[in-house]
Amino acid sequence: MPLSHAEIDEIRNILRREPTVEELAMFEAQWSEHCSYKSSRLLLKLLPTEGRNVVIGPGRDAPAVKLFKDWLVVFKIESHNHPSAVDPYNGAATGIGGVVRDILTLGAKSIALLDMLYLGDPRNPHANWLIRGIVKGISDYGNRIGVPTVAGDAWFDPAFNTQPLVNVACIGIVRPEEIISSGPSPGDLIVIVGNATGRDGLLGSSFASKPLSEDVDKDIGAVQVGDPLTEKLLIDAIEVIRKRRLAKYVKDLGGGGLTTAIAETAADYGLGAVIHLEKLHTREPLTTLEILVSESQERMMIVVEQSKLSELVEVLENYDLMYSVIGFFTDDGVIRVFYNGSKVAEVPAKELAKPKPIRRASSPPMEALKGLKPLYSLPPEPRYDDAILKVISSPNVASKRWIYEQYDYEVGIRTVIKPGYGDAAVLRLLDGTNRGVAVKGDANPRYTYLDPFNGAANAVAECFRNLIAVGSRPLAIVDELNAGNPEKPEHFWYFEMMLKGVAWMAEELMLPVVGGKVSFYNEDHTGRQVKPTATIVGVGRVQDVTKTTTIDFKESGSYIILVGVTYPELGGSEYLYRVFRLEEGEIPKPRPCSELRNGRFVYKAIKLGYVKATHDISVGGLATAVIEMSILGNLGFDIDLEKVFAIGAQRIDEVLFSETQARYILEVDPKAINNLLKLANRFGVKISIIGRVTDSGEARFRKRDKTIASIDLDLLRDAYRESLSREIEGGI
Amino acid sequence: MTSTYLVEVIITNKKGVRDPEGETIHKHLILRKGYASVQSVRTGKYLLLSVNALSGEDAIRIVKELCEKLRIYNPVVHDIEVRLRG
Repeated sequence: MPLSHAEIDEIRNILRREPTVEELAMFEAQWSEHCSYKSSRLLLKLLPTEGRNVVIGPGRDAPAVKLFKDWLVVFKIESHNHPSAVDPYNGAATGIGGVVRDILTLGAKSIALLDMLYLGDPRNPHANWLIRGIVKGISDYGNRIGVPTVAGDAWFDPAFNTQPLVNVACIGIVRPEEIISSGPSPGDLIVIVGNATGRDGLLGSSFASKPLSEDVDKDIGAVQVGDPLTEKLLIDAIEVIRKRRLAKYVKDLGGGGLTTAIAETAADYGLGAVIHLEKLHTREPLTTLEILVSESQERMMIVVEQSKLSELVEVLENYDLMYSVIGFFTDDGVIRVFYNGSKVAEVPAKELAKPKPIRRASSPPMEALKGLKPLYSLPPEPRYDDAILKVISSPNVASKRWIYEQYDYEVGIRTVIKPGYGDAAVLRLLDGTNRGVAVKGDANPRYTYLDPFNGAANAVAECFRNLIAVGSRPLAIVDELNAGNPEKPEHFWYFEMMLKGVAWMAEELMLPVVGGKVSFYNEDHTGRQVKPTATIVGVGRVQDVTKTTTIDFKESGSYIILVGVTYPELGGSEYLYRVFRLEEGEIPKPRPCSELRNGRFVYKAIKLGYVKATHDISVGGLATAVIEMSILGNLGFDIDLEKVFAIGAQRIDEVLFSETQARYILEVDPKAINNLLKLANRFGVKISIIGRVTDSGEARFRKRDKTIASIDLDLLRDAYRESLSREIEGGI
Repeated sequence: MTSTYLVEVIITNKKGVRDPEGETIHKHLILRKGYASVQSVRTGKYLLLSVNALSGEDAIRIVKELCEKLRIYNPVVHDIEVRLRG
């Protein structure tokens, strides 16, 4: 996005003269939405960022949260939506590369990747090609750097046919005393390490800060190819650098390239810098302007004291990493850039790093009324056997095997709960104890499209529930807000509401939002925005990985317990969409008090060993949750819907498919049932004993003696396991 | 009358797009083993199709079309060369 006239005037004011072309390019890169958050910064202040476990909050490349007294967890979310729309394979791969380097900047060891993918209709040829490329790109890059992809989220909707959302997250761990966080001082040297700078990825952030043009061929400069081999060398070298304490500060060269890395570092520490561009290793002859804003991948900035340079160089050479010492930090707050002795730019770091925030106009479009409309006349009730099969085979509900089986999810032998078997992934710390960390990413584009405030709040709550359901204590979250064009008030409104929804729910659930990302301009060439989506990734503390719970039913005869109250909340549900093609209505209300109360109860029940399996209820409602537990455990069930504690439900589907929040299904041993009931009483939690696990090979819902649906488990299993693969492989 | 033609497809990254695999082979294998005369290496994907067609041009047309329609390559990133093996 080129600078506006007002911005160019602003730059003239800052410099008190005409800017040089290099300076203009630096401002254009840094003041792009992607780097400067100029449209979002004022609103982002609403997010709760503090908490007793927060060690490093927003501001650095990645935040750090106290996991245990002797371990920090470092985690970050990134989006690579625009690159993935043009080149799905490399776009998604370089997204992984970027987020892994963010974790690296604190010296943390990357232990897991997550991918939250909001993709088009698999039967649309273009969307299908994007889906395949994106998944392959993530798979290849993750595999080559040896970090497992352990969890994620996937959603399919024609709104993402040309502009998918590719949100990726990385989880790292580091000892508190080893974290790289001392910060640069005047006189410290600036070393750029990794790939040679080239013309690839020129002004990529500016590219991400504008709508996709119809002729994507013109954006060739923004195509970047991932280089996992160099990334792996960076990972290994930085581990040594951290251990030997050779770096004072590390930063990724991501969006905005060299300009952003130096401007932000200098501004954050009240420093200036002197840079000699001719010293940078380049792949091809480049102009000064190109060097300043190229976004070539797999490059990092390491700040080192002069006295330790030779030791650092020795490590880098040992790993065969290219590097150049391009300058040093100063104490005067001015960035001076030279090329072969002549000055090409001289700009104040603070003003360059942070343009004036803009308060964008914001107003709801007519379309937003869809989410306010009460569902006063539902279509007639369907045959429930059919409806259940339709919902279970929806790509949004069915197993995501087609995706995660392409991933290496076990490399590094930390993975305790594998993809598909838990509401969250659980990883060992591998430090000789049984301690671990749970991670999960969530979003529901349909909710945030119908009601961005409540939809985003529900995403936070779902993440909270998923972390609870494996037996972990939720600690903190990061958020990724994928929105449309901030210059359009009717797009910006969605962003604003999503942000406020996240801020509200995070505060209520006491989950600090320690970092995040904003992605704007997610619209196609006709100017239609994709479904605005708030993606939440959370981490939880696991005291003992051997005591975590999975989804699958374990034993015939167990009681099936529903935790929480069910309301008739079918608006925006997968059921309405899948069975009736309806995408409207009030979405389920966020219920923070119930989330906390029910969450604490479930956490305690798991801890006391009362629970054999846990699953939170989300997309697809109660019916989907128990069927998933049944399929994964290879056991049937017999449930009496009359027993469900439901308020105001007038129809069976309002019990089976309502997506009311703050609910869980537990499998409980008959011997533990009295203890569980007492515990529920003590916590003031509504629970219902709705049925039993059986070995009948059948999923049965009844109302007292009247069978509502009775489906053979084999049929359900086939629908659940194979539907997504059929959509993708056989759909064209 | 159709006959069988062998059609070769070579897909490489465009000139301006990097090729980390080629760079790695060049730097970490070829140069390291002393072949200093080698200036650069580019890798790619090679397909050999056996096609029943009316003529060589027809075979090439079929292959070009399928490469585009089935997205065997990404026109934004890749160059493609389709030729008869003769």
